[in-house]
Amino acid sequence: MSRAAAFVATIVAVAVVAGLVAILPQLVNDYIVRVVIVMCISGVLVASMGLGNGFTGVFSLGHVGFVAVGAYVSGILSLSQAAKHSYLPDLPGWLSGITLPFLPATIVAGLVCVVLALVVGAPLMRLSGYFVSVATLGFLIIVNVVLINAVDFTRGARTFTGVPLETTLRWAAGWLVVTVIVLARVVYSPTGRRYLSVREDVIAARAVGIKVLPARLSAFTLGAFFAGVGGSLYGHYLGSFSPASFYMAYTFALISMLVIVRMPSISGALVGVVVVTVLSEVLRNLERGLDFGAFAIPPLYGASQIVLGIIFILIMIFRPSGIMGDREFGLGRFVKRKRA
Amino acid sequence: MRPEMRFAIGLALAAGLATSAYAADDTIKIGAPFNVTGALSSLDAPALNGAKLKLKEINDAGGVLGKKLELVIYDTKTDPTVIASVASQLINQDKVPVAFGFTDSDSVLALGPIFQQAGVPFITPGATSPKLPEQIGDQVFLACFGDNVQAAAGAEFVAGKLAGKNVYLLRDNSTEYTTLLAKYFEEAFTHNGGTIIGRDDYKSGDKTFTAQITKIKAGAKPDVVYVSAMPDDIGLIVKQMRQAGITQPIVGGDGYDTPLLTQVGGKASNDVYYSTHAYMAADSTPGIQKFYTDYKAAYGMDPENAFAALGYDTLGLIADAITRAGSTDPAKIRDAIAATDGFAGITGSITFPKDVRVPAKTVTMIGVKDEKLFLAGEVKPTFIPAP
Repeated sequence: MSRAAAFVATIVAVAVVAGLVAILPQLVNDYIVRVVIVMCISGVLVASMGLGNGFTGVFSLGHVGFVAVGAYVSGILSLSQAAKHSYLPDLPGWLSGITLPFLPATIVAGLVCVVLALVVGAPLMRLSGYFVSVATLGFLIIVNVVLINAVDFTRGARTFTGVPLETTLRWAAGWLVVTVIVLARVVYSPTGRRYLSVREDVIAARAVGIKVLPARLSAFTLGAFFAGVGGSLYGHYLGSFSPASFYMAYTFALISMLVIVRMPSISGALVGVVVVTVLSEVLRNLERGLDFGAFAIPPLYGASQIVLGIIFILIMIFRPSGIMGDREFGLGRFVKRKRA
Repeated sequence: MRPEMRFAIGLALAAGLATSAYAADDTIKIGAPFNVTGALSSLDAPALNGAKLKLKEINDAGGVLGKKLELVIYDTKTDPTVIASVASQLINQDKVPVAFGFTDSDSVLALGPIFQQAGVPFITPGATSPKLPEQIGDQVFLACFGDNVQAAAGAEFVAGKLAGKNVYLLRDNSTEYTTLLAKYFEEAFTHNGGTIIGRDDYKSGDKTFTAQITKIKAGAKPDVVYVSAMPDDIGLIVKQMRQAGITQPIVGGDGYDTPLLTQVGGKASNDVYYSTHAYMAADSTPGIQKFYTDYKAAYGMDPENAFAALGYDTLGLIADAITRAGSTDPAKIRDAIAATDGFAGITGSITFPKDVRVPAKTVTMIGVKDEKLFLAGEVKPTFIPAP
């Protein structure tokens, strides 16, 4: 695809998303809009998780740790003065005096995650394989314990509430577009090729002069930025959350969205988000029981989780490379791709 | 199947569900989001069962305003994201004029703002934080007493029946409920002339309480130990305290009200007292007795705890408000709920004082003797700390 064509295609795609965002609330009710907002937030999180996990082959289980940091940092920053006085009376003066709007709070949350990722990633990104998964899981646990014990900043295990409900469809979709464009620019560039070569064969990559640590660390850090942003979106969507909201259960929910379609692919991550979200919403509504007049299915609460689990197992057995296999799903379909 | 196809089918299914709204106009729909699965199911499921029992009673008696009531039940899975989705589903898709649910404040906090914004009233049967209505807004009501009331009742019970003057205060500092309960207890107890002679903290999930117990034994001997605890921990705490030789009465709040207290505590649970919503037993008040037998007939087991009775009462409260409002307009129902005066529930009479959305209710004190629960008293506290 030529540069100009790609540029035009991107503009058109962004315009289409913007148009959809503008008309969607008129077409469907607020419940569907909310499901779409959750999809956009999950899209930001899963796509950024896929950058490190899929493209550099560093399977991190600590992504949700950054999501938690993003949610709490942006929450503390955007809480109103009155809310700060009643919920966080012991906050240090320099923090309790400021209230940032949504956008700066989100960006600061992302940047805090970047700094954290550099500090954590410098030693951890030297590890490979299972070791890095276990080490990053350790990071997630540390974040959780710190959140529970830093009572002055986070209210401990108690609910962090009063966060303004700012995450509208526009914000969520806007950040999703930014995430996808930035990640796509990185992944389909020489840097992205370096990531892939590091993933495929570390020794061969070194032999051709690719430095492994900077490649992995840059992917980890960029992923952490968008994890922080996604955390801020999620926090401002819920309005109240606790350290338990960002732990193992959420980690595995995101991982399932990432691996169910096809791992090293941004579009695959997005399709995974849509498939898992729609499936779990549909199943959640079906488990309430159905009445067809002639016969009725009684409500079976909890059945949705079981069915979802079985579907995952079946996919992993019959399509271990994910339901999309090796197909890509992108603008190339609509713009003629120049074959190399 | 191609992913696009999957997506299309999924979307079609979702849209189908969205439009296949039960268009029946001859019923009044009442939203009932509960955490039927997940961490809170042991409290939420009984509350929902209690409500279903009331639903059958009301509909058998002819319904409300000449229409049958219909519960729109959703399992919210103890997951805040699902709770937020369900909240807007209830309002925008099912268009319920009023809803009730949950036994914990976190779930209410996740749902409340969406109901508040839509102007649809919501009553929680079991979330006892008296701060909830003020945190969310004028659409949120409690059908149970607030923690300030039960702490005050506990304080008067300690000073009265147990003749306690010096109390040692142990609290779980990891949850909103336990920290507030301890704070209210201290306020009420010292206001009535008692003294807190020592205090200590632990965190929910701790398995050994040796450090805290050593500290209690090192200081002056308290008359009573007040432990503000979550359901999962209290059995262990009581057991370890008794083993260490602390024989004084142990008093706490409605977090004790699970079978875990006597199951885990065993003999150690003797001489433990707690404040709760109702005494659930076959030898209780006539209202509870009837509920007890009906519940057993319907579900094949005894009511698990007082939340079952609270679910039953909450639906009764809503039906009463709709009758008085004479309409299914959310604003009129809200005003009728706020004007509730002396609704006779089985967990006590419910009255909402002017501009207060937490009812003034009688608190039941339960004690443990020979590993069995008994009704230790009914307290209507005279001094109630501000929420």
